[in-house]
Amino acid sequence: MENELTVRIETPATIVMLTPLDLFVRNMIQQFPSFSEAEGLVDMLELAFHEAFSNIACHAYRSAVEGRITIQIIVGVHELEFRFEDNGESFDPDDVPTPNLTDGPCEEGLGIWLIRQIMDDYLYSCDKGCKNVLRLIKQIPGPTPDLNNGVGP
Amino acid sequence: MEIQEKNDVTVIVMDERFDAALGRELKDIVQNMGDQTTIKLVIDLSKTSFIDSSASGALVFCWRSAKKNNGDMKITGPSDHVKSLFRLTRIDTVVKLYDNVEAALESFAQNESMPE
Repeated sequence: MENELTVRIETPATIVMLTPLDLFVRNMIQQFPSFSEAEGLVDMLELAFHEAFSNIACHAYRSAVEGRITIQIIVGVHELEFRFEDNGESFDPDDVPTPNLTDGPCEEGLGIWLIRQIMDDYLYSCDKGCKNVLRLIKQIPGPTPDLNNGVGP
Repeated sequence: MEIQEKNDVTVIVMDERFDAALGRELKDIVQNMGDQTTIKLVIDLSKTSFIDSSASGALVFCWRSAKKNNGDMKITGPSDHVKSLFRLTRIDTVVKLYDNVEAALESFAQNESMPE
């Protein structure tokens, strides 16, 4: 992405970190009017981030080994990306069944489906070194953000 | 989370952030109500600004438990964001939403429920 603003965070993959990270992401993207002025968008982006982080913490690192996650939040001129990198167990998101909501609401299996409803792109890859990379991309609605003045120091 | 008994209705006031951990607590509470003849539940979300997929699943579990016990569950005070999530997950097709606890209690008194 050209003229992008990137924040990189490396953190233990533990649920204890979830709420502080959710709030950081929320406060960061709220600085951009393109997001904050679109009704409900900040709430939904926070939810997508939350679901992705908790999936990695609970499923990729389900063994006792304490893992780490590297998160990048990248705000470009035309899109926002949440990028998660971890060394936990790999998985194929296409193997995760879509919840059947035709007969009513479901109790389980909504996390990845919700992320896909919120974000424009859900891109997962796993390289030979067992690094999982999940990229969640949302196109920015309305006027492009001012990357110099949209976010305070 | 705060639990109040109002006549024969259990009102559970959820915290600002309603996630997997709180969802598990809620499920435990409702599971322990299983011996009651009728489960009448009001889940008050007026303080809740964030709800995740696990919490949404916990609400479905509670609604099913109430129905199994000849009762019902109603939700009060959801924010616009929470309402959007309920539309996506179709919770709003089975659980009736009210502006406040009083309205939900009144509907229990009048025996109103969602059509089957």
